[in-house]
Amino acid sequence: MFNNKLDRLIWRRHRKMMAVIGGIALLGTVMMTLILLHTLKQDPEPNIHIVTASIRKWQVYKGNYFSAYSWWLIFAFWLGGLEIMHLDLRDHFNEFLFSSGFSRLKVYWAKLRIALSALLGMSVVILAIQYLLYWLSKPNGTTFTLAWPGLITSWAMGLAFSIGMFSLSWFAALIVGQTGSLIVTISGFTLSLVGLSGIGGSILSGPWFKVSQAALPWVGAGVWLVTAVILFIWGAVLYPHLSLEHNGEYLLFPRLRVPVYIVFVVYVTWLYSFDSDGVTMAGAFILAALFGYGWLWRPRLGEKWHQWRESKQAEE
Amino acid sequence: MTLNVAGLSKEIGGRQIIQDITFEWAPGEILGLVGRNGVGKTTLFRSMMNHYIPEAGNVTVDGQNIQQVPSRQQQLFFIDTQYNFLNNYRLWELPDFFMAVYPRFDEQRFTALLAEFKLDRNSQYRRLSKGMRALVNLVLALTSNATYIILDEPFDGLDVIIRENIASMVIDEVADQQKGFLISSHDLNELDGLSDRVLLLKDSKLVHDYNLEDIRAKAKKIQLVLNDRVIPAVLKEHSQLIRVSGRVLVVVITNYTPEIDRALKDLKPVLFEELPLTLEDLFRANLAHETGYQMMK
Repeated sequence: MFNNKLDRLIWRRHRKMMAVIGGIALLGTVMMTLILLHTLKQDPEPNIHIVTASIRKWQVYKGNYFSAYSWWLIFAFWLGGLEIMHLDLRDHFNEFLFSSGFSRLKVYWAKLRIALSALLGMSVVILAIQYLLYWLSKPNGTTFTLAWPGLITSWAMGLAFSIGMFSLSWFAALIVGQTGSLIVTISGFTLSLVGLSGIGGSILSGPWFKVSQAALPWVGAGVWLVTAVILFIWGAVLYPHLSLEHNGEYLLFPRLRVPVYIVFVVYVTWLYSFDSDGVTMAGAFILAALFGYGWLWRPRLGEKWHQWRESKQAEE
Repeated sequence: MTLNVAGLSKEIGGRQIIQDITFEWAPGEILGLVGRNGVGKTTLFRSMMNHYIPEAGNVTVDGQNIQQVPSRQQQLFFIDTQYNFLNNYRLWELPDFFMAVYPRFDEQRFTALLAEFKLDRNSQYRRLSKGMRALVNLVLALTSNATYIILDEPFDGLDVIIRENIASMVIDEVADQQKGFLISSHDLNELDGLSDRVLLLKDSKLVHDYNLEDIRAKAKKIQLVLNDRVIPAVLKEHSQLIRVSGRVLVVVITNYTPEIDRALKDLKPVLFEELPLTLEDLFRANLAHETGYQMMK
C-alpha cells in the first residue's frame, strides 16, 4: 500500500486506529442515512424527490432527506488528527520514530501524508456506501437523482472543512502533552467555532467586505485551507524541536506558553464581547485572563500550593 | 568505525542532568556506564538517541553527525525500559516495526531466540514479567544487528541463569568486532566480568573513563593493619579508602608505584595483603564521600 519504509512503518502503527475511526464514521453515516430514509417513509407526500433540484447548482447541497457530505466524515478527520499525532506521544512511539534514522521532518510529513490519504480514502468509501444505501433502500415512489455541480461543491467544501478540522486537532495534539487536557482544549475550541463562524459570516457579508451569501461558503473553504496550510507548516517548524522530556506536560513547547496565553485571552474576549459594550468586553477579558493564567500555569500554581501547605504543616 | 559523543549536555526543568559528556566507542568494545541513581545515565542514552534534544554537544558515527545524517542512527539500538511503545503489541508483531528501521534485522533469529528463552510469541509485551521484558529487549537488541547497542540496566529483574546467558551472548556478539555494547548497570559485579571500559558518571559529568585492563595493571587494592590509628601521609595522598574496621584498612591505590610500595612497607604494617580489585572497589573509591566512607583525616 505504501512504497517506502517510513510510510509502511507509520501505516503499520496507525492502521488499526484508522480502521476504528473509519468504522465510527461509517456507522454514524449509515445510522443517519437509515434515520433519514425512515423519516422519508413517514412523509405523507407522494412521489418525493430525495434530492431536490438545487443539487444542479454550484452550491453546497442542503436538503431534508439527503446530505452530500456526511458530518461524520468531518468528525473522522478531527479525530484522525488527534489520533495520529497524540497517540504516538502517549504510547511512546515517538521515541522509536525519533531514533529510527528518518529525519523528524520526514516523519512529520509522512504522518501527515498517510493520515490524509487514509482519511480521504475512507471518505470515498463511506460516501459510496452512503449513496448506495440511498439507492438500494429508497422507498417506492421516491426518486434519487444526483447531479455533479451540487455534489462537487459539497465535497469540495466538506473536504476543506474536514482538512481544516484535521489541522486544528493535529496542531493541538502536537503542542499539548496531556490526553485529558488536550481533549478538553480541542473540544472547547471546536465548539467555539460555531460562534466564530457566525461572527465571521456577519463580518464578511457586512459593509466592509460585502461578500455575497453565495460566495460565503467558498470564502469559508478558502479560510479553512489557508489555516490548515499555516498550521501544517508551523507544525513542521516545531516538530523537529520536540524534546520528549516534556511529555506529560500541558505544553510540549514551554516557550509557547506566553503566546498561547495571549491568543487565548484575545480570542475568548473577542468571541464573547463581539458587538457588545465595553463592560462586557472588560468582563470577558478579566475572566479569560484569569482562567487562561490558571490553566496554563496551573502545575506551577499547584506546586506552590503544595509547598505552601507543607510549610504551614511544618510550622504547626 | 567509531561513535563519538562530544560535549553532550542536557538540562531538564532548570537542572543540569548531564554536562559536557565526551567519550569514544568502537565496535568490539563493551562499555559499562556506572553512577549513582539519578546521575543522568538514562538521560545520556535518551540524548544520544534523539529522544531529548541536548542543549549542547553531538553524537557522530564515523565522523557524521546523526542530527545531520539521521540514517546513521540506524547503527544505534536502544530500547527505553521506561518509555517504549512495545506494550500494546504481541511479540510476533514486533519485527514488523524493527525491520523497517534496522535493515539487517534478523527475524528468523528473533523467532529462534524467543523459542530458546521459552517466550510465547503470542504474548502481549505488557503481560510479561519484568525479567521477561528485559529478555525481549535483549533479543530485539541482538537481532537488530545494529553496530552500537545500548542496554539500560539489562540485568534488572533477571535470575542468575538468564544473567549468565545474557552475559555470554553479549560476549559472543562482540567477538567478531562488528558490534559494541554500552551497558548501564547497578550490578557492578556483572559489568566487571563483561566490560572492557567503564565510564563513571558523577555530579552530571563523566569523571572517569577506565580501561579495566590498564587500571588493573596500575591499581591495587590493599588490606592493611597499621601499628597506630593515625593514617599515614602516603595513604592520605595516594589512596582511596574503601573500608575501615577497627585498625583494619582496605584501600585502593589507583596508581601504585614502587615508591608507594616502598613507603607502605617502611611503615611496617602488622598486615599487608593485596586483594582482588573489583569494579565495585573503583566505584566506591570514587564515590567514597557519597557512600559514607570518610577518610579519617
